Amino acid sequence: MNKLTYVAKNAMLNMRRSPLIVFATIIAVLVSSFLVFTTLSARSIVENNTIRWQNGVHVVVFLDDRVTTTAHKQLQESLESYPEVRTVDYFTKAEAAEEFKALFNDQPELLSEVDFAILPSSLRVNLNNPSDYQLILERMDGNPAVKEIRTSGEAIERLLNLTNTLVVSATSFAFLIGFAAFILIVNTLRLAAYSKKKEIKIMRLVGASATYIRLPFIFEAVFESLIGTSIAVGLGWALIEYSKGSIVSDSIFDITISDNYLIYLTLLLLLSSLIFGLIASFVGIRKVIND
Amino acid sequence: MIKLNNVSLVFQGGSVALSNITTTINDSEFIYLVGHSGSGKSSLLKVLYKEFEATKGEIEVAGLDVIELPKWKLPLLRRKLGIVTQEPQLLENRTAFENIAFALEVMGADNQEIDAKTNTLLELVDIVENAYKYPNQLSGGEQTRVSIARALANNPMILLCDEPTGNLDPDLSIQIVSLLEKINRAGTTVIMATHDSSIVNRRKKRVLELSNGKLIRDELEGSYITN
Ligand SMILES: Nc1ncnc2c1ncn2[C@@H]1O[C@H](COP(=O)(O)OP(=O)(O)OP(=O)(O)O)[C@@H](O)[C@H]1O
Ligand SMILES: [Mg+2]
Repeated sequence: MNKLTYVAKNAMLNMRRSPLIVFATIIAVLVSSFLVFTTLSARSIVENNTIRWQNGVHVVVFLDDRVTTTAHKQLQESLESYPEVRTVDYFTKAEAAEEFKALFNDQPELLSEVDFAILPSSLRVNLNNPSDYQLILERMDGNPAVKEIRTSGEAIERLLNLTNTLVVSATSFAFLIGFAAFILIVNTLRLAAYSKKKEIKIMRLVGASATYIRLPFIFEAVFESLIGTSIAVGLGWALIEYSKGSIVSDSIFDITISDNYLIYLTLLLLLSSLIFGLIASFVGIRKVIND
Repeated sequence: MIKLNNVSLVFQGGSVALSNITTTINDSEFIYLVGHSGSGKSSLLKVLYKEFEATKGEIEVAGLDVIELPKWKLPLLRRKLGIVTQEPQLLENRTAFENIAFALEVMGADNQEIDAKTNTLLELVDIVENAYKYPNQLSGGEQTRVSIARALANNPMILLCDEPTGNLDPDLSIQIVSLLEKINRAGTTVIMATHDSSIVNRRKKRVLELSNGKLIRDELEGSYITN
C-alpha cells in the first residue's frame, strides 16, 4: 500500500511540474489512438455492408432480345458449370419491368415515359467469391447472346480498396503522431529523472531496487498514454453511436459493427498503449538510471 | 567479512587509483583507512560498494562476490552496507527526519515502522532537537550525523564512512568518532577513511594506509604519521 502511494504520489508530482507537456502528450496519444480506432471501425462497417452486397447479385448478364429460349438455357447451363459460380437465376423481361416499377414507384413521370419492352431479360449470377467477377467478363467476352454485362464486384472492390487506403494512410499518420508522443514522453521523463538525480543516487546508495526507482516514471508514462487512449476510444464509441442515428446511416449504409469487434479493438488499443508507455518509460529513464 | 585479493583500479585515462590491494577485514572490526589526498581512500570504499568496478582482483563483501555481482543484484550488496559519502548527500527539500526516513521508505517500510526507527536513529546520533530542520539549517557536523543515521537505517553489517570528520573542528570530530565507536561496539564493522592523524593516533585502532593506490601499512592499534 505504502509502495503504491509512493509510486502514484511521485508520478503526480512529476506531472505537476510540467502540466503543458503532459497535456500535449495526452493529446498526441489521443489523436493517434482515435485515428486507429475510427479507421479500423470504418473498415469493419464497410466490410459488413459489402458482405451483404456480396451475398446478393454480383454479375448481371443482359441478354440480346434476339436470343431464343434454348440459347439462354445453354448460356445459363454453361455459366452454372463454372466453378466460381454459385447460382444463376433467369430474369424475364416481365420481371425486369416489375423490378423497374418497384425501384422507381416514387417517380411516376419516369414510369409513364419508359417503354418497358426495351428492358432486356438477364441472367443474374451469384459468385462464390465476388472478386472473381473478372473471370465471368472474360468467359462471356464476344458471346453473341450477350448484350451487356454489369458487375457489382467492381464497385465493391473499389470501395474496399478505398477503405484499405484510408486505413493505411490514417494508420501511418497515427504512427507519426504516436512517434511524436513517444518523444514527448521520453523527453519529459528524462528531464524529470535528471532533476531527481540526487534523489535517485541516494536511493541506489541505500539499496533501492531498480524497479522501485523506475516505477514512478513507468507509472507516469503508462498513465499518460492510457488516459489519451481511453479518451480516444470513448470518443470513438460515441461517434459510432451518433452516426447510427444520423442521416449517414440512412443514405449511405447501415452503421453495423459488432460489439465484439469494438470491444476487441478497445482492448487491443489499451494494451498497445500500455506497452507503448512501458517502452517509452524504459527508453526515457535508461540513461539516468544506469549511470 | 571483507576480503580483497590483488584488487586494482585503473581509470580510463590510465590513472591508477588502486594497485594490488590484498587484505581481510573481520566482522566487528574498526578500521581507519588513511593516506594523503589522492592516495585512493575513496576509491577503495567505492570499489567495495561497487560504485567503481575494480579492474582486476577479487572482492568479497558480506558473503557476496562483488566482482561477479550482476547489476540487478547490486541492491542486495547495498542493503548490507551503510554508506556515508565524502560530501553528505542530503536532500535539501527534506528535513533531517525525512532524510533519514527516506532510506526506510525506499525499502518499503510501513509508516509506523519508519516513525519508530527514525526516532531511534535521531536519538542515537543526537539530532532530536534538530529533527525538523532542513540541511541548510544544520551545521556540517549535524549533517554528517544525519547522513550516518540514514546509513544505519537498514541495520547494515558494515558501515563505510568517507571522511566523516572532513571539515569539522576537533571537538566535533571526536563526537563523530565516538558515535562510530558506539555503533561498532554494537557489532557493526566500521571502516572510516580519514587523513586526520590526531584522531587516528589517539584511538588506537587498526590502520590501513594507502599511498599512490598501494597498501603500505596494516597495523593493529596503529598510528598515522604525516610529514
Ligand atoms: N572518476 C575518476 N576518474 C578518474 N580518476 C579518478 C576518479 N576518481 C578518482 N580518481 C583518481 O584516483 C586517485 C584516487 O582518488 P581518491 O578519490 O580515491 O583519493 P582519496 O584518497 O579519497 O583523496 P581525498 O583524501 O582527497 O578524498 C586520484 O589520483 C584521483 O585523481
Ligand atoms: Mg576521498
